[in-house]
Amino acid sequence: MLVIKDLHASIDGKEILKGINLTVNAGEVHAIMGPNGSGKSSLASVLAGRENYEVTGGEVWLDGKNVLDMKPEERAREGVFLAFQYPVEIPGVSNINFLKTALGEIRQHHGLPPLSAKEFLAMTREKQKLVEFDAKLANRSLNEGFSGGEKKRNEVFQLAMLQPKLSILDETDSGLDIDALRIVSNGVNKLRSKDNAFVLITHYQRLLDYIVPDVVHVLYNGRIVRSGTKELALELEDKGYDWLKEELRVSESIQ
Amino acid sequence: MTNQVATPLYNKLSAAFESRNAADLTPLREAAFAKFKAKGFPSVKEEDWRFTSLVPYLDVDFSVTAEAAGDAGIQQAVDAAAIEGLEAYRLVVVNGRIHSGLSVLPEPDEMHIGPLQEVINTDAFRAHFEAEDHTGGNSFTQLNTAFFTDGVYIEVPKNVSIEKPVHIIHVNTASVPTLFHPRQVIVVNRSAGAVFLETSVSLHPKQAMFFNNVLQVIVKENGECTHYRIQDNAPGERWVHHTQVTQHRTSRYSNYTFSLPGADLIRNNLELKLDGTATESHLYGLYLAAGNQLTDNHTAIEHIHPACQSTEHYKGVLLDNARAVFNGKVFVQREAQQTNAYQQNNNLLISDKATVYAKPQLEIFADDVKCSHGCTIGQFNNESLFYLQSRGIGEESARKLLVEAFMFDVTDKIEHEPIREHLQELIHQKMTAAMAAGA
Ligand SMILES: Nc1ncnc2c1ncn2[C@@H]1O[C@H](COP(=O)(O)OP(=O)(O)O)[C@@H](O)[C@H]1O
Ligand SMILES: [Mg+2]
Repeated sequence: MLVIKDLHASIDGKEILKGINLTVNAGEVHAIMGPNGSGKSSLASVLAGRENYEVTGGEVWLDGKNVLDMKPEERAREGVFLAFQYPVEIPGVSNINFLKTALGEIRQHHGLPPLSAKEFLAMTREKQKLVEFDAKLANRSLNEGFSGGEKKRNEVFQLAMLQPKLSILDETDSGLDIDALRIVSNGVNKLRSKDNAFVLITHYQRLLDYIVPDVVHVLYNGRIVRSGTKELALELEDKGYDWLKEELRVSESIQ
Repeated sequence: MTNQVATPLYNKLSAAFESRNAADLTPLREAAFAKFKAKGFPSVKEEDWRFTSLVPYLDVDFSVTAEAAGDAGIQQAVDAAAIEGLEAYRLVVVNGRIHSGLSVLPEPDEMHIGPLQEVINTDAFRAHFEAEDHTGGNSFTQLNTAFFTDGVYIEVPKNVSIEKPVHIIHVNTASVPTLFHPRQVIVVNRSAGAVFLETSVSLHPKQAMFFNNVLQVIVKENGECTHYRIQDNAPGERWVHHTQVTQHRTSRYSNYTFSLPGADLIRNNLELKLDGTATESHLYGLYLAAGNQLTDNHTAIEHIHPACQSTEHYKGVLLDNARAVFNGKVFVQREAQQTNAYQQNNNLLISDKATVYAKPQLEIFADDVKCSHGCTIGQFNNESLFYLQSRGIGEESARKLLVEAFMFDVTDKIEHEPIREHLQELIHQKMTAAMAAGA
């Protein structure tokens, strides 16, 4: 589904992504871990099309379509969804109208008519339940005055509504208490199917107890330095990243 | 004649004034015209006109005498001006004169509506009118006093509260460029209440027209007046609106001024004199300016007595080469203890060729007061834009959503839902048009 080849990107002339290679197939869940500042959010931003990153090399393909040629909204309509690490607050834009507009534009892109008010309402109800998202929040301004946990849950609510092919969750688990984590994880597990895929960016192995990944990657200093099974996550939890950094330093100095 | 630029216009005005019939040449008008002649049109040398040079807007061979209006086209224009879903009375004013045939008015014992000319010389009117008249200091108001024809006088009797808004539709039928001086006086008597909505329409849009409008509002003790004005004007039009409000004790006045793209120039002077204790005033403004438009809002609130409360929130969105001016004066005099005055002005610049001049101006001479003001000038928040786009919303729709969101805390204050919906629809249309033209 997603193929990333030797992706390089920089911001303000500083190279952040230094050759990322990653293939995610439909039906899979990948976890990306790595120390702070290693480029995880940058990778997510570049995939979603954030303007201030300059792609200096490489390719990104989504089901055979060239993602890097698309504007952010086109990527979203093609099925890329980014659950932001820090969702913005937009006072004056009602959560629900925003979703109606977004869903309408995505459906239009696929040649589908807009949902009727009744259908939309029914869908909203169902998805709210899925992530136990308070109906009162759905009717408020987008993220305005939401707690950290409410914002994260709103991201997953939107994910559920828009039904993307590829969902990238950027530290959606950070700052969630154990109940919220369980709710969010259950939501994601229910949304998993053989036709979609998830990339979970996380700091904590804890999330992976709830959503079991097929592959775990370690991103460090702009590169994926190690990939493995979920046991890799456990190992990182035990030993931290220092041993990895040390190993890399040694191997680089040998080269 | 100190202002050389508009000399032919001065000569025309003088000739027109002298040739008026004797009955019209009251001492009031003579005095006003003399004052106007001494000072001329305001120039950028005056602080209040620093950013608004009138030269390009007055440099037209305007007719200074209103032509007689036929009825053709008025009916359709009036029907088109109705606001969907709004149950309202309708006061049709054609070239400054009340058109009874097309108006649907409250009963006379609920509201007196008639020509200002009819009452202006009566003792009863003068007894309270002249005392309330503070329009003398301004060239445009003097000119208006000298020239207005007929005018509109509205009086709500004491203890009468009319829920249904009165929609005042100003129709302009001039077929040649004209300098006009419409005049209205609204008196809301003790413990009375009324809601007014003003809109205007021109039968021959896209020609240079200069409107020098003066409205005086007097809200007597414990009265309440809500006043909306939607400035959705045609290209070529230049508007100078002088709105002067006097509030007596414990009265409430709310003003909503919405200026949309269209007119070449909109200059609003909104002056509130809080002439009694414990009054409440709300001033809400939205200006959306596009093309080469200049929209200038000057507001002044004078707190004279204790315990008055005023809130003011103006928000502007500027596209293209538009320019906007906001000047918000708040005076709190020594006697005006326990004043509560809040002012906020926020501007969103969408084009890097647009300009805004914003100046809050608080002068406080009392010590036990709560006053605050804030002023911001910003651009689109790229994070917000990206967030919306990342959900599949196209860039243009995203920008429109953000503009509507920016205006929301003012549109949300509109109490009459059909008016709110009408305005939101207008904003949406104008944004779409401006963006299509800009693209
Ligand atoms: N807007 C920005 N301007 C400059 N540098 C940035 C910006 N955003 C991120 N970076 C830098 O990019 C690197 C990767 O950051 P990020 O992708 O946020 O890492 P992670 O999500 O793995 O913690 C860091 O060195 C960070 O300082
Ligand atoms: Mg990050």
